[in-house]
Amino acid sequence: MNAAQSNKMSQSNQSNQSNQPRQVGGAEPVLRLQNVTKRIGRKTIVDKLSFDVHTGEIVGLLGPNGAGKTTAIRMMTGLIGISEGDVQIAGRSIQKHFKEAIVHVGGIIENPEFYPYMSGYDNLKQAARMTDSVTEQRIMEVITLLGLQEALHKKVKAYSLGMRQRLGIAQALLDRPKLLILDEPTNGLDPAGIREMRDYLKKIAQAEGMAILVSSHLLSEVEQMCTRVVVIQNGRFVTEQHIGEQGRVGALPELQIRVDKLETARQVLEALETVQVTEVRESKSELICQTEDREVPALIDALRHADVAVYRISETKKTLEDEFLQWTGGNQIA
Amino acid sequence: MRNMTRLIQNEWLKLTKKRSFWIPPLMLAVIGAGVTFMLYKFSTNVAEMDSVTVYLAGMLNASGLGQFVAILSIIGTAGMIAQEYAQGTIKFLLIRSRSRGQIFVSKYIVAVFYTLMMTLIAGAALYVSGGIAFGFGGTAAEWLNVLQQGAYGFVYALVYVTLTFMVGALTRSTGVAIGIGLASTMFSGIVIFREFYKYVLFPNADLSVYGTMGPPIPGMTVGFSLIVLAAYMALFIAAGYTVFRRRDVA
Ligand SMILES: Nc1ncnc2c1ncn2[C@@H]1O[C@H](COP(=O)(O)OP(=O)(O)OP(=O)(O)O)[C@@H](O)[C@H]1O
Ligand SMILES: [Mg+2]
Repeated sequence: MNAAQSNKMSQSNQSNQSNQPRQVGGAEPVLRLQNVTKRIGRKTIVDKLSFDVHTGEIVGLLGPNGAGKTTAIRMMTGLIGISEGDVQIAGRSIQKHFKEAIVHVGGIIENPEFYPYMSGYDNLKQAARMTDSVTEQRIMEVITLLGLQEALHKKVKAYSLGMRQRLGIAQALLDRPKLLILDEPTNGLDPAGIREMRDYLKKIAQAEGMAILVSSHLLSEVEQMCTRVVVIQNGRFVTEQHIGEQGRVGALPELQIRVDKLETARQVLEALETVQVTEVRESKSELICQTEDREVPALIDALRHADVAVYRISETKKTLEDEFLQWTGGNQIA
Repeated sequence: MRNMTRLIQNEWLKLTKKRSFWIPPLMLAVIGAGVTFMLYKFSTNVAEMDSVTVYLAGMLNASGLGQFVAILSIIGTAGMIAQEYAQGTIKFLLIRSRSRGQIFVSKYIVAVFYTLMMTLIAGAALYVSGGIAFGFGGTAAEWLNVLQQGAYGFVYALVYVTLTFMVGALTRSTGVAIGIGLASTMFSGIVIFREFYKYVLFPNADLSVYGTMGPPIPGMTVGFSLIVLAAYMALFIAAGYTVFRRRDVA
């Protein structure tokens, strides 16, 4: 792990551990987890998890299989008890004021399940009857938003998984929630389905002006739509990462340089103050170093003066996925 | 109140939208008509049945069609909670702005409705078929007796439906609920002649015995049985309610 990264990590760890609310635009968070812990028997499945989600954000909750994402989400929605800590939705505790808190939440936990012998429409009506204010007009609105018109009067048992996911989101949106919680919404979808899901979640976030929390074990599935990801492993907070338009703040471009005289090149580059050599790959006769774009010409000049032949210079594009694997220590299942 | 009626409506629709919904009521109607036909055809004391009201009063309680009302109501309502778990729909049900208590109560109310509906269907099937066989009509006093026997039949079925409902809530298994519900109806006919046994549910469930065979165990009365039944039903509902409200839904 490089210095820039570990620095960033400790920063986010800090901001998270202090229980001071992180003010974004002065508004209270839509979702706040405070030291949320779940113990079953002697096992601690979720351990002092804390983070906030604000209006307008799409936050990814990431972690390998068994990290505790579903368990955390079950606590957020009151399906299971919280051993320690609290979850607040729009300032209301899910434990103390369940009805007032959950009224702001729409969600799909694990799989979108419906009464299979009823039509999609009848299932939506079931959900609507459990709200105070959902009108027929609103039902038609979400149906149009999710493009469910065609399948509306078919029995749900005849739905494809993609259609069930959409119906799940439709029912979650019915009561205009401030927070949409989706547990692995791309689970079981094909690549086209995943892309489609991504597109309409973005659309919905804008159209309905809400916060979305999406869990996933694949960063690549959510990084394109999330503004931020929270990574957990073994039930614990690992890191938090903002996803900007282009890459991440503070990270220097990383270059991979293939040369003939590796040792000489290393000495030359280490002598340069603006360049950090992070790795020497003997087998490929390559150096990995970090520097800013404007320092690259000087770097090339220095190598040429030392009579080092440069065969290739390329940027190592480390994807977020690679970093994610690094954070969580590979793909091991906890 | 509106919240509750809409929850009840939801529960009722979950039962009635199933295609299999019609099977128990239809079976009950067919059994009712079939029994009337057999009695009319083969029974020797048809002469005593001078009108449909006498017939109804004799058939609506647990020793008549009431037993089928109980069995079919148990089968019809056993899955109301367990099915939600089996289908995974419990998660959708519980992440709405309605308390678990409200949901449990709405389900139980629908189970009571269902049992009532089955009692009425049994009554209607016996009335129509019995009227054709033995002639319609009857005195007001006879009709009062019909109502009483109908109520006894309903109470009998409701006791076991409530027991089944609780088992469904505790075990989350439709099969176990039906099994225990049906098995317990079998115990109704068995009487152990010991003092303690009069406080057990089973000998108290069929209130019609007081008018026919007399108290199952000396010292028992209709009032006594009603109190025992009320206590058991309250216990069943409280146990189911408590577990349903507290349980982690995984
Ligand atoms: N009821 C339970 N009793 C005991 N252990 C449990 C229970 N529920 C979950 N666990 C354990 O807790 C851990 C976290 O499970 P959880 O389902 O929250 O993970 P997840 O992050 O959602 O994983 P996945 O990506 O596979 O969905 C797992 O190791 C799981 O075995
Ligand atoms: Mg999960």
